[in-house]
Amino acid sequence: MAAPMELYCWAGGWGLPSVDLESLVVLTYARFTGAPLKVHKITNPWRSPSGTLPALRTSDAGVISQLHQIITHLRKQKYNADYDLSARQGADTLAFMSLLEEKLLPVLIHTFWVDAKNYVELTRKWYAEAMPFPLNLFLPGRMQKKYLERLQLLCGEQRPMEEEEVEKKLYREARECLTLLSQRLGSQKFFFGDSPASLDAFVFSYVALLLQAKLPNGKLQTHVRGLSNLCTYCTHILSLYFPWDGAEAPPPRPAPSTSETDEEPYRRREQILSVLAGLAAMVGYALLSGIVSIQRAAPVRTSGTRALGIAEEEEDE
Amino acid sequence: MSLVAEALVSQVAGKVPFIHVGNQVVSELGPIVQFVKAKGHSLSDGLDEVQKAEMKAYMELVNNMLLTAELYLQWCDEATVGEITHSRYGFPYPWPLNHILAYQKQWEVKRKMKAIGWGNKTLDQVLEDVDQCCQALSQRLGTQPYFFNKQPTELDALVFGHLFTILTTQLTNDELSEKVKNYSNLLAFCRRIEQNYFGENGKGRIPLRLA
Repeated sequence: MAAPMELYCWAGGWGLPSVDLESLVVLTYARFTGAPLKVHKITNPWRSPSGTLPALRTSDAGVISQLHQIITHLRKQKYNADYDLSARQGADTLAFMSLLEEKLLPVLIHTFWVDAKNYVELTRKWYAEAMPFPLNLFLPGRMQKKYLERLQLLCGEQRPMEEEEVEKKLYREARECLTLLSQRLGSQKFFFGDSPASLDAFVFSYVALLLQAKLPNGKLQTHVRGLSNLCTYCTHILSLYFPWDGAEAPPPRPAPSTSETDEEPYRRREQILSVLAGLAAMVGYALLSGIVSIQRAAPVRTSGTRALGIAEEEEDE
Repeated sequence: MSLVAEALVSQVAGKVPFIHVGNQVVSELGPIVQFVKAKGHSLSDGLDEVQKAEMKAYMELVNNMLLTAELYLQWCDEATVGEITHSRYGFPYPWPLNHILAYQKQWEVKRKMKAIGWGNKTLDQVLEDVDQCCQALSQRLGTQPYFFNKQPTELDALVFGHLFTILTTQLTNDELSEKVKNYSNLLAFCRRIEQNYFGENGKGRIPLRLA
């Protein structure tokens, strides 16, 4: 019944099908519901039909780029993961999604985009390596500014001295939120029984990003690892719904070595080019300043002796 | 929020509500609850872990949706802004400060709305979100007297505060309060709390009337 829909989203990395939270949520939801999506994993947001990622191109509703609107559209197309939920469970879903947005989202933004070590060594590195030239020169910085602004608006303006306190409060609330989620999940497979719902897509995306990314500064990661039922929950969903994307994880690891071997011919080429450029500069300077002069209309032998003559002149000088 | 309170806020540079206990000033619901809990009074002690998780989640839902919707209506709906909010907000200040501060606040709120994705929402979409939120609350409440059955908790206080304000504040249009009135159990909930805790025979001393 549904015309083929195309999803443009950020590419995968760190062992996950996508490195971006919203893209991951849409992908997970689509896998849960079996929605037939043609997925384009790209690393250049300018190639997306709406200019941002994720974006869903549909045949009847144009291009949708807001996360909640994408999920609503999928629901309307009868791919509804919450179909079997009772009214009370639907209410709980709304409540827990608000909890995630208020308590976990600020910390996720802070961990990946504001914390200096994480940003420089992980986030910016991934985006700069993944994006094509020349976007990788300025887009990661622009994205960071946007996230920073969003975080400031979410948490309210703070004076610089209070920043550390606000940060501590943020992380404390996030730890509380994760513990609450763990308590609510208990020993169930999914939040509402045996089949996954939209809340599972959201919780999985948040927790998986925090757990899987190789964060140099992973304060929250330690806390998540301590909540064993959440860890099992994540690995379970990854292995069940993204088994071949898990196999994509190895390629990123050999990628650094292949990128090094790829760099070698480039390096050599650059070396040769720079040597040639240096030689050309020297010869040009010599010609222009008169140290060396070339006189024509001489046969090969005499030009050979002339060359020797020139060499002797240079040696004399 | 009364005008006096808002004026005080700008002086105290803190947030409303706040309580003044001896030398300490504690503001905002969360810290006040923690403060009172530290003094040995807590409403949610009887809840188990799963219920506490649900309570926190529903409190966030109310903060996320109802609070944002109220803010939207106050500052982003042109009719309400022009007729009510601007003059109310700028009242304590002399001209031209009253206009400047009101516009500044409006600009700040609009920026925040944009950051959380509400910038492009129309009034109808916001009202629909409020309706969804009320529906969730109504379903959670069901036929119980309070959200966690017999005893009120922080969630009941928060929900009552918001719903009561929505029901009793006069705005240019009544659509917001109409949305709440669609849910009879929520109305009954508000009346019950008002009578038990704020009525003339009740424990509180502040007389409130629910139309």
